[in-house]
Amino acid sequence: MVQRETVNRAPKPSRRRFLKTTLSAAGVATVGPMIIPCSALGRNGTVPPSERIVVAGIGIGNRGTYDLGCFLEQPDVQFAAVCDVKEARRVAVKKIADDRQGNTDCRMYRDFRELLDRTDIDAVLIATGPNWHATASIYAARAGKDIYCEKPCTKNIVQSLLLAETMRRTGRIFQAGTQRRNLPHFAFACALARSGKLGKIKRVFAHPAGMQAMTSGWLAPETEPDKQVVDWDMYLGPAAWRPFNPQLLDGFNFEKGGGLVGGGVLEWGSHCVDLCQWAMGDAPPPIEYDAPRDGQLVARYENGAELIFREKDWIPLGSCPVRFEGETGWVEAGDSGKMVLSSPELLAGREVQEIGDYPATFHVRDFLDCVKTRGVPKGNANAACNAHIACHAANVALYLNRQIKLDLKTHEFINDEEANRLRSEALREPWRL
Amino acid sequence: MYKTQKIGFSGLVFAAVLGTWFTGGTNVQAQIGKAPSEPDLIAILQSDAPDEDKAIACKQLAVFGSAQAVPELAKRLSDPQLASWARIALEAIPGSEADAALRDSLGKLQGKLLVGAINSVAFRRDERSVEALARLLPNSDIEIAASAAAALGRIGNVAARQLLEQRLTDSNPTLRSTAAEGCIYCAERLLASGNKTGAIELYDRVRSADVPTPRIIEATRGAILTRDQDGMVLLVEQLRSPDKQFYQIGLSTLREISPSRADSIVFAELGQLPPARAALVVQALVDRPGAVELSQFQSIANEHSGLVQIAAIEALGKIGNASCVSQLIDASGSTDLDLALAAKKSLTELAGDDVNLELIRRLRAADRKSLRLLLEIVGLRQMVAVEELVKALADSDPEIRAAALTSLGRTVPADQLSILVQQVAKPANTEDTPAALAALKAAAIRMPDREACAAELATAFQRSTGTIASSLLEIVGAVGGTQALATVEAAARSNDGELQNVATRLLGDWMTIDAAPVLLSLAGPGIGMEAKYQVRVVRGYLRIARQFAMSETERVSMCKQAWQICQKPAEQKLLLEILKRYPGPETFRLAAEARQVAEIKADATAAMLAISQALGNNSKELELLLSKDGLRKVQLEIVRAEYGAGESQTEVTKVLQRLAKDQAWIPLPSANYNEVFAVDPAPGMPKQLTIQYRMDGKPGKVTLAENAMIFLPETQ
Repeated sequence: MVQRETVNRAPKPSRRRFLKTTLSAAGVATVGPMIIPCSALGRNGTVPPSERIVVAGIGIGNRGTYDLGCFLEQPDVQFAAVCDVKEARRVAVKKIADDRQGNTDCRMYRDFRELLDRTDIDAVLIATGPNWHATASIYAARAGKDIYCEKPCTKNIVQSLLLAETMRRTGRIFQAGTQRRNLPHFAFACALARSGKLGKIKRVFAHPAGMQAMTSGWLAPETEPDKQVVDWDMYLGPAAWRPFNPQLLDGFNFEKGGGLVGGGVLEWGSHCVDLCQWAMGDAPPPIEYDAPRDGQLVARYENGAELIFREKDWIPLGSCPVRFEGETGWVEAGDSGKMVLSSPELLAGREVQEIGDYPATFHVRDFLDCVKTRGVPKGNANAACNAHIACHAANVALYLNRQIKLDLKTHEFINDEEANRLRSEALREPWRL
Repeated sequence: MYKTQKIGFSGLVFAAVLGTWFTGGTNVQAQIGKAPSEPDLIAILQSDAPDEDKAIACKQLAVFGSAQAVPELAKRLSDPQLASWARIALEAIPGSEADAALRDSLGKLQGKLLVGAINSVAFRRDERSVEALARLLPNSDIEIAASAAAALGRIGNVAARQLLEQRLTDSNPTLRSTAAEGCIYCAERLLASGNKTGAIELYDRVRSADVPTPRIIEATRGAILTRDQDGMVLLVEQLRSPDKQFYQIGLSTLREISPSRADSIVFAELGQLPPARAALVVQALVDRPGAVELSQFQSIANEHSGLVQIAAIEALGKIGNASCVSQLIDASGSTDLDLALAAKKSLTELAGDDVNLELIRRLRAADRKSLRLLLEIVGLRQMVAVEELVKALADSDPEIRAAALTSLGRTVPADQLSILVQQVAKPANTEDTPAALAALKAAAIRMPDREACAAELATAFQRSTGTIASSLLEIVGAVGGTQALATVEAAARSNDGELQNVATRLLGDWMTIDAAPVLLSLAGPGIGMEAKYQVRVVRGYLRIARQFAMSETERVSMCKQAWQICQKPAEQKLLLEILKRYPGPETFRLAAEARQVAEIKADATAAMLAISQALGNNSKELELLLSKDGLRKVQLEIVRAEYGAGESQTEVTKVLQRLAKDQAWIPLPSANYNEVFAVDPAPGMPKQLTIQYRMDGKPGKVTLAENAMIFLPETQ
């Protein structure tokens, strides 16, 4: 077996570089989005107001601040407003945006519905805690906004279906925060699998990074701050009520999985299972999920191929590794930007850029391009829906500790009422999907 | 008191879910437990248990409850703190009892709690609720009225639809909007049931209503798609719209329509649309699944200019054939940079062997103007045209030679790799060397027989000097394999500083485990290597020990060897991290050995603790060591501790409070938790100990395997 890493190390990308990359990697059709002609840019790389996309942010914490940076570095983005239930975050994000844009135009909101009422806003970046992702995305779509939403995007199977259905109905552009879909080595690895270069795919492997529950709960009540400082009711949002406790104010971990299940499989699965799904041609999710055994969980697609959640035995290629095995070859890739191939011939003369540290710049650009073209972004709602359902179903199998079977027509589990009751969860009043 | 009952107190039920829901960080095994008993959960709701326990009981009833639980759950619908929890169960429990409970609540609840109940009725699509929902439509609280309208939309039967249509003209704009949303759901259901005419009528009613733009847009999309080919006229209206939002829905809806004769309506419109819009329409037309008419796009590419032409040229790359080659070559030579780039990309993507044949034919007869482009395209398409590329190496123009080299790198077969080796080793033009090296590397790393490739490169390397030698060594390293490893090792042992630099860097990043013995031998005495390279070698060895898959025995052996070569505290600490990562008796012993080194004693102690903790081992030997040396003094408060498995939990807070001292480690009087806590809360089952604590005033929480040594992590 031949193992070889790719060697074409790339510096930190810029947009112009990205456009060049798109051409140089032309052999890999999956890498680049369409080209926005340079004529869309002004002489100094500036974009006329009529060509700008007006973006607002909802729930901009740590991850959101990183995403915001990716948006702000795009010349055709005007960041107009921020909504956060925490006053400190509202103020901090306004400062970042205003400093970058050289004005004081970024407006602040505590209730995202007021922000969505603004007709001048084209798109929203949603980087709240996962508790809010699906609900806020669906409200934004109904308000006519395009959406870049951090992952995991949904808390259960029904939310996943409603998210995709709403995006179709409203005609909105939706990009899940699955930025690895816009990195060349992951895209190449997935393209190898999809195009048959590895032979018929037998197994795809995803690293769940801990098949653990990671959700938060009901802690001892503490004095609730003034609503202007922290709006606890809005923070809870669709999550069932519980008293204020500052320890729960970590949006990243709050109600991550929802329901009785959730956690690690969803947290990382929304990346690495998503890549496996892409390798499988964005197929419907697996139909059969075994109980966990020896630290791994095996699911099966309709065509018999296996999706394996595996903690160990990875080639050291960084976090979020994936591996695709076909009848004639395999490929493994990770966040280092490197990949290992069963045969160097799979490269077939292509140069695949080695971009580590999973930057979201390209993914944001893909989203913005699709906002303009109304094209289908890499992390579109249908793809995200299928990947999330695979994760949610795996979590149900983990929780019930038994094999479950999914009917792809109804998206219900076959002859398993307990599993079916875990497909959805009521939202706290007044929120609805 | 409820808390004295056998099934437990607040912590018991809490803990039943803790493992799966509240605490986080529990492993798969901890989530495996027997289903809770419904009567026990109902008893919690009936008791004076705290709300948090009742909340979790509701969550459990969502999975394990039945009609029996409905009456108690229904009582919580009027409780502002528990209503949302109760609805989690009531939405999930099948049967008419839950429907009835939610339906009955519509006449009793007020405000947001009523909105919640309405939403749950909507989720369950309870048709018997239509009458009750109709009574709520005129409610003065618009949130209630709007929720009722949305619920009617989800139910979507004839009665619901009629009510919603009436509300499209309501005086309240919010209600009109939600009624429109409901009508769109109803239209979808009509279409799904085969009533296309009814769906179109309903969509058109919404389109003509005084409702917000997003609703009209949604209805417009529905109206276009439901009309099939007849919808193209309506679609073109959107493409013409001065309102960006309607133009956008036209564009995205076009992508949902399969190609057909009706496309001609859109093609005819291209000349009327602003170029930027028309270009995006061309992109949308070609992106649709299904066969499209190639000649249409060829005509657009010929007849239009600017953005529309670029879009058509891009389209040819996706759907074109050999008949497009001439057109694309011409466009590649355009002075419009965007057009030229698009054409080049399309030439690269154009599918088919006949395209390759046509390109070779043109390459052989190429003029100066197109030669460089065609050379480049040969490489980008991975076509085999070695003869033509080699011929171009003799060209007087360095740019032509560079293009030929690059394409050779992408395409040269294994039996002709020597062409590129020769270009590096004996270049006819030294200015070509960078391009030749890049080409050789690109070719070398895709060679199927890498041992043969490495051997050929090794020979060239041995005959080279200076920067060429270093560059060739880099390429050898990129190829990998046994021969390459031997070549790089020899370079590391050379007395050439630059070669040592390159070789040790390559070895430090080597991707296979066979580099370990090489690194170990290089780390030994008498090599004569510069100190900075020596460090690189040691760290490379540690990297393999840390990252690569191997047996426990092999890893322990590597760690023992590493201990011999790690001379500096920084490297020794890296080794301790590896020991912690792979806990076992042998790594524990190695960590103990490391404690003898004063500079890393604290780190070694921490490693021993971590290993012991992971092994669930209360080593007497370790306790003795720790009691002698002591640990950092901390202010420690045990807030709460529970010991058990699944539902069977015992609170052991007081025991641990007694045992805790002013350090992170809590020494136990026995290695057996059952003895320490004088109870076995779950006989025969693997148990866990969960401790909530405050260290130096900061809260922390840890869950330990049964009988693990208790060493509380530092709090952040």
